[in-house]
Amino acid sequence: MNLGNLDSLSFFYPELILLGGVLLVVISDISLKGLRVRINPLLTLAALLLALFYTLQTDHGSAMTLFEGMLALDNFALYFKVFLLVAGVLVLLGSLHSEELASVHQGEFHALLLAVTLGMLLMANSAHLVMLYLSLELVSLTSYIMVGYLRSDRLSNEASMKYILFGAVSTGAMLYGFSLLYGMTGSLDLFAIRDALLAQEVGGFNQVTLLLVVVLTTAGFGFKTAAVPFHFWCPDVYTGAPTPVTAFLSVAPKAAGFAILVRFFLGGLSQPAGEQWGFISGIDWPLVLIVVSVLTMSLGNIAALTQNNLKRMLAYSSIAHAGYILMGAVLLTGTGLKAMLVYLFVYLFMNLGAFFVVTVIFNAEKTFELQDYNGMFRRSPFLAVAMSIFLLSLIGIPPFAGFLGKLYIFGAVIDQGLYWFAVVGALNAAVAAFYYMRIMKHMILENDDRPPTPLQISPLNRALLVLLLVPNILLIVFWAPIDRWTANSITLFGGL
Amino acid sequence: MSVTDIVFILTAIVTVGSAVVVVVSRSLIYSVFSLLFTFFGVAVLYVFLGADFLAGAQVLIYVGGILVLLLFGVMLTHRLYNLNLTTERFQPIAGTLIAAAVFASISLAAFKTKWKLVGERELEPTTQQIGEAFLSSYLLPFEIASVLLLVALIGAAMLVRRRTDV
Repeated sequence: MNLGNLDSLSFFYPELILLGGVLLVVISDISLKGLRVRINPLLTLAALLLALFYTLQTDHGSAMTLFEGMLALDNFALYFKVFLLVAGVLVLLGSLHSEELASVHQGEFHALLLAVTLGMLLMANSAHLVMLYLSLELVSLTSYIMVGYLRSDRLSNEASMKYILFGAVSTGAMLYGFSLLYGMTGSLDLFAIRDALLAQEVGGFNQVTLLLVVVLTTAGFGFKTAAVPFHFWCPDVYTGAPTPVTAFLSVAPKAAGFAILVRFFLGGLSQPAGEQWGFISGIDWPLVLIVVSVLTMSLGNIAALTQNNLKRMLAYSSIAHAGYILMGAVLLTGTGLKAMLVYLFVYLFMNLGAFFVVTVIFNAEKTFELQDYNGMFRRSPFLAVAMSIFLLSLIGIPPFAGFLGKLYIFGAVIDQGLYWFAVVGALNAAVAAFYYMRIMKHMILENDDRPPTPLQISPLNRALLVLLLVPNILLIVFWAPIDRWTANSITLFGGL
Repeated sequence: MSVTDIVFILTAIVTVGSAVVVVVSRSLIYSVFSLLFTFFGVAVLYVFLGADFLAGAQVLIYVGGILVLLLFGVMLTHRLYNLNLTTERFQPIAGTLIAAAVFASISLAAFKTKWKLVGERELEPTTQQIGEAFLSSYLLPFEIASVLLLVALIGAAMLVRRRTDV
């Protein structure tokens, strides 16, 4: 079913609420001089929660497109909308008591957080190349500003500048790929592109051109998901950005990037065939992405081994995790896609958790260096235990949630008979265990001579840490709802 | 060779040639001024494609707006001449190889791909069609583009805020 502009509005409440939120925050920031510091976070939180409420309420029946085919509304899109809004709420709560952001005016920060969430929701829904590009730019542009939010901090400025340069190059490459695709099919609509490709029996030199399209567009998506070899911006940007923004970047735009990657490659360049998809003959895009996935996790993990700055180490670790998540997308099966969604959901809580501990420690200690974490267990047992749980979850050790993600991903890979791919993944997980354990060793085993002064954690931050710990501990027991939800969420418009 | 072909080739030479000057020139002023010719060249290419509105918009926005802003920016910088704009890490061999590979693959793709051609079209004004598309099938992208501009404005406001103003 394709809805026109007016009929689509009733399925567009979450986005409209976010847009209204942006405007309200801007207005209150200008007009309410005294109250704005208190009102703006509340307005932002209210907008996010209301949008989440309406997203959960959405009853769209079967998959359909909105706004004359610009957006696709299906269970897959709804999963990502819920995911991104939850990520938005968690990042907002994490940013409230951050010393880094406390030094600057935060009105724009809240408006930008809402705008970037809006952009990401649109990204997860896009079914048209124009919309896809526009929402990607909305997310990128907002991220550049958020990364450079600490204006008087040289690292933050440098990070923003690097991000812009890499972003411009990769989106340029992606657009070039789109233009080639348009030239071959005469359409910008993903499903029309697929039909046109199926109709003309891709052969001859068009195969080579389509391979070029795959490589060029992967540059754009790879930039958003920080996949090797489009990851060069990632360590510097993650280190320079304010930590709440880094936490946000490592989860939300990455997930949105995976959403459009799946939508572009499965929706546009594949056809559903029974229980799985088949790539349109002549365009072996899964092969390209398998190479990217192997490179991403290996390089991310190996580079993380030698890092001594926590933010930098977690940046490389998030690159490696992008590699694991990509494993699910290249399988062309429902199980693979489901595994990817489970992994993303688990990754949200463990990665945000780890970054949040880094924020809390920076608030008190003003440092991101690993050796300054020495003796943290004696100073705040709660914090050290929380960090250990997040790290064990990131390694994928049972009984924590990360194990569930790895189990689903590796299971789906083995289902497809790609044993070597699963072995590469497992080897990577083993390498990763080394540097995650290194953080734990510094926090728990190594003590320095200083007397263990207790570390101050604000009540809000403590509550948020508990909130992030709960899914990490309990998901392994209550995995059935997640299993059902993700199994439901793999219905793509025009797909299975 | 018809007159159209000659005009096209001349435009192409001016566009690409001035773009090369933008990159290799050691003076920012020269770079910005040769960018003027690049922008005009692109506008002429749009005319060749029958995109009259786009050609007009190109001149208005890029030449009239962005280039003037760039000029202001350049005027306000300290050193205009003999700048060393290359980065510390300069890799001529790898760079040339990659550039040649990209050029070869893209030009091969341009010549050998079987494009979906629409055939000769009558030249007609496109402004009305664009306007109608913006208010019907492209309504959502049109509106989201305005959100994008709003975000850019917010970012600009953040950049110029006084440091003491918390």
